[in-house]
Amino acid sequence: MTVSANPMRPYLGRLTEVRQLATGIKFFQVELTEAEGRAAFADYKPGQFAFLSAFGAGEAPFGICSTPRRGPYLEFAVQEIGHVTHTLHNLEVGDPVGVRGPLGNCFPMEQLQGRNIVILGGGIGGAPLRPVIHTILDNRAAYGHMTILWAARSPDLLVFTEEFDDWRADWATELHVTVDQGNEGWSGNVGLITHLLERVSPSTENAVAITCGPPIMIHFVFLTLKKLGFAPEQMLTTLEARMHCGIGKCGRCNLGEKFICTDGPVFWQHEISGFLEGFL
Amino acid sequence: MPIDRSLTKELGELARGLLESGQVECVIGYEAAPRGGVRPLFAYSPADAGRLIWSTRCVHNLTTYLHDKKKPRRRGEEPPRVAVVVKPCDSRTINVLLAEGQIERQRITVIGMACPGMEDETGQPLARCTTCSDRLPLVYDLLLGQPPQVTPATDDYADLAQIEALPPAERLAFWLRQFDRCIRCYACRQVCPGCYCTTCMFERDDGLWVDMGIELPQKYLFHLGRAFHLAGRCVACDECERVCPMGLPLRLLNRQLAREVERLYGHRAGQEEALSPLLFELGEEGSPI
Amino acid sequence: MRIATLSHLKSWLDRLAQQADLVAPRDVDGHVLYRPVSSAAEVLFEYERPELSAKDYLFPATEVLLRVEQEGKEVSIEEVLPQRPQVIFGLRPCDAHGLAAIDALFLNQQPQDRYYQQRRERTTLVGMACPKMWDGCFCVSVGGGPTDRSHLDVLLTPVEGGFAVDTVTPKGAGVLAGLEMTSVEGRPPAVEEYARPVPVASPDQWRARFKHDLWMRHGERCLSCRICTYVCPTCRCFDVTDRVVDVQAGRTRIERIRAWDACTSTNYRRAAGGHNSRPTKPDRIRNRFLCKFCYYPQDFGPLGCVGCGRCVVSCPVDIDITEIMREVAER
Repeated sequence: MTVSANPMRPYLGRLTEVRQLATGIKFFQVELTEAEGRAAFADYKPGQFAFLSAFGAGEAPFGICSTPRRGPYLEFAVQEIGHVTHTLHNLEVGDPVGVRGPLGNCFPMEQLQGRNIVILGGGIGGAPLRPVIHTILDNRAAYGHMTILWAARSPDLLVFTEEFDDWRADWATELHVTVDQGNEGWSGNVGLITHLLERVSPSTENAVAITCGPPIMIHFVFLTLKKLGFAPEQMLTTLEARMHCGIGKCGRCNLGEKFICTDGPVFWQHEISGFLEGFL
Repeated sequence: MPIDRSLTKELGELARGLLESGQVECVIGYEAAPRGGVRPLFAYSPADAGRLIWSTRCVHNLTTYLHDKKKPRRRGEEPPRVAVVVKPCDSRTINVLLAEGQIERQRITVIGMACPGMEDETGQPLARCTTCSDRLPLVYDLLLGQPPQVTPATDDYADLAQIEALPPAERLAFWLRQFDRCIRCYACRQVCPGCYCTTCMFERDDGLWVDMGIELPQKYLFHLGRAFHLAGRCVACDECERVCPMGLPLRLLNRQLAREVERLYGHRAGQEEALSPLLFELGEEGSPI
Repeated sequence: MRIATLSHLKSWLDRLAQQADLVAPRDVDGHVLYRPVSSAAEVLFEYERPELSAKDYLFPATEVLLRVEQEGKEVSIEEVLPQRPQVIFGLRPCDAHGLAAIDALFLNQQPQDRYYQQRRERTTLVGMACPKMWDGCFCVSVGGGPTDRSHLDVLLTPVEGGFAVDTVTPKGAGVLAGLEMTSVEGRPPAVEEYARPVPVASPDQWRARFKHDLWMRHGERCLSCRICTYVCPTCRCFDVTDRVVDVQAGRTRIERIRAWDACTSTNYRRAAGGHNSRPTKPDRIRNRFLCKFCYYPQDFGPLGCVGCGRCVVSCPVDIDITEIMREVAER
C-alpha cells in the first residue's frame, strides 16, 4: 500500500528553516523526506493548503505560502494560537514534522493572466497571497498591473516585510502598506485597509481583487470593493475554518452544503453570496 | 398526565402579566410535550404564556437555562430579564448560582411552585422526591400553590449503603460496568446548572487531563472528576441521571459526596444564599471547617 | 421461503463466532445494544430497537489512525488498518440504511476513507426484520421499512418455527454456508405500518426555512449535548488529535486518534482564536437538521436520516425531528 493511498497519513518532512516572521507568527520551511511526499507536492498551486503535524500534539491546516518554482520545499506562516501551533512554535531546524496535502482548490491563475490584480492582505492573511505574488512576479509578462495593499493591526504584525523591496522593484507593481495603529518609528500609513483601499482606489478595468485576512476584514473589504465598482465576479478570497480532515469527511468546515476544504478554500464573492451560511 | 388545572391557570395569568408589563422578556417554564410528558418552554409573548402548564411531570431543572440568559441578545443592550419556574430542588440551584456570582438576582423573577412531588412516565414518584422534605422553594419572588401535607421524610442514604456494602474490588467492578455503557455524550454535564465552565477541563483540545477518546479510562475520570467538582455544590436535582441515555446511576456519585460534605461540614448545597462555595472558604471566621 | 430454526441458527452463530468478530444485539444491564459476542448464548433474538446504531463497528467511536514513534529527530509512522473479518448479526433495516448513508460519503466520495473502507470490505451484514415499528420509528417515511432488505447481505425475518432467510447478496450467500435451512410454503408476515407518515420536504424547502424562527423555538431548549448525534445511524462528524501513549528512554510513542464529535456541541465551530461561527443553540441545531435533509442529500445522495427514531426518544428536552420535518413541509 503506497503512502498516498491513505489520505490521513502524513508525509514525513524536516524543518529546514524556522524564523520569527512577526509577533506571534513564525515562518517554517519544510523539506519533504519521502519520495512519495515530494511527488505529491511536485505541482501544488497557489491557494492550496496542507496539514502540518506537530507529532504528539496533532495537525492543523495552513495555507502553503511557497511555490514549487522557487524551490523544492514547502513554506508556511504559523500564528501561535492553540495547542498544535504552540507545539510547532517550539520546534527547531532539523525537527521532524508531517505534511498532508496538497489540499483544496487553488487561485485560478490561468484565468487571471492578462488581468490587473489587486491583492489585499491583512495580518497573517498575507501568507496565502504570497504565492500569488510570487507566481505573478515569476511570470511577469503574463499578468497585468499588480496593486498590493498590505495591512496589519500594528507594524510588528506585518508579514514578509523583508520582501517589500522585491515587490516594489517590479516595474508593474505598486505596494501600499498600512497599520491600524502605528508606533514610534512607524512613518507609514495609519488606518484600516478599507480606508487605504478607498484612497488608492484601484481601477476596476480588467481587474480582479484577491483578499485574505480575518473574516471581518474580508467582509468589509468586499463592501468597499463593491463601492469602488468591483463586480462579484471580480472578487476572490480564501476562507478558513477549523478543520480535522481536509478531505471533506469530518464535517466540520461546512458553510451550508459547501465544504471549505474541498469546494474551497478559494471562492469567488458571487459564490459566497449564494451560500446559505455566512463565513463570519 | 394529570395537569393541575387551577395552578396552570394561575401560572399562565401570572406569566402573561409579567410579559405584558415588560417586567420580564421571557418566562422559562414547562409545556405539554406532544409525545406525552412535559418539556421546557421559553415564553416570550402572552400567546406563548398560554402554553405553560404545571403537573407532576415537570421534572426538568429549568435554572440551567439561566446561563444562556446572561449575555445581551445584541451588543450594547442589557442582558434580558427573565422569569423561571422552580420547584424546591431547582430553587436550591438559584442559591448556589447566586453565591457563585453566576446570575444577577435583580434580573431574575423566581416563580416558586409548591411541590407535590414529581412522577415519571409510569406514575412512580421520582427517587429524590421520596426523601424530600422541602415542599416550598427556598428562594422565590412569587409563590404558587399550597404545600401539600406530608410527613417529613428523612434521607437515610439507603441506596448508598448497598454499594458501600460491596468490597472495594466489587465496588470498582460495578462502577466500571456503568461507565462502560457511557457514550461520553456529556448530557449529564450539559443539563447540570452547576457545570458552566466555558471550557470543561475534560474537553480540552490539548487533552491535558484526558484525551478525547470515548474509552473507559477517560469516561471513568470524567465522571469521578465531575462529581468532585460538584461536591458541596450539587443540589441533587437528579437531572444528570434523568438525561443519561445509558441509564448510568449518576445520582449515587453525587449523593455520596453530598453526604460526606454534610457530615463533615454541616453544609447542604443551596440551603441558603449567603454561604459561599464551600471549597472557597478560607480562614476561620465563617468557615464551615 | 427458506427457514432456519432457532437451534440451527445458534449453532451457525457459534461457528461464526470462531471465524470472525461477531457483533449482535445483547442485553447489557437491561439495555439492548449491538455488542461483540463470543457465542450464540449471548445473542438476543427477540428485541426492540437497539439503543445505539451499529455504526460503531464500521466507524468506531474512538479509532487509532496512526501509530507514530519518535526518537530524537527520527519519526516512523504506522497506519493502523483493520484486519479482522466481522459479521454484524441482527442488524435492523434502518441501521443498514444508516451504513449506506455513511458509505455515500466515506466510500463514494474521493478520496475514500481508508479505515472505513477496510472495515466495510471485511464486514457482512445479517439483518433482522422488525416485527413492528417501535416508539419513534418513521423509517417508511424516509425510504426504508421494517422489512426492507436494502443494503443488507442477508435478511432474517421471525416466522413460525424459526426465521425466514433471504439471501440478498453473494457475500450473504457466503456467510450462510453451513446454516441448515428447510424450504416451506408461504411468505414472511407483513408488518403493521406506522399510522401517521412524516412528510419529507425537499432540500429547497429546507433552504427556504434557513432564516426562520422555528430554529429558535425548537432549539432554545437544546442542551448542546451529543445524544442525538451519537445515537444516530448516519451522523459521522469526527475530531482528530494526537495523544502521547508512552515516553521511555528517549522514545516517544504517539497515537493519532479520531473520535466521534457532534455539531450540536457548543465549541464545535470554535476556532483556536476563540471565534465561534455557530455560537447559539438555534444556529447549531439548524445546521444539524439542514445537514440531514438538505446538505447531505445535495452533496452525497441519500438523506442523512433513516427514520430510526432514536433521537426522538432520547432527546432529554423533547426536540423531535418529526415535529420539525412536519413544520418545514407543512407550514
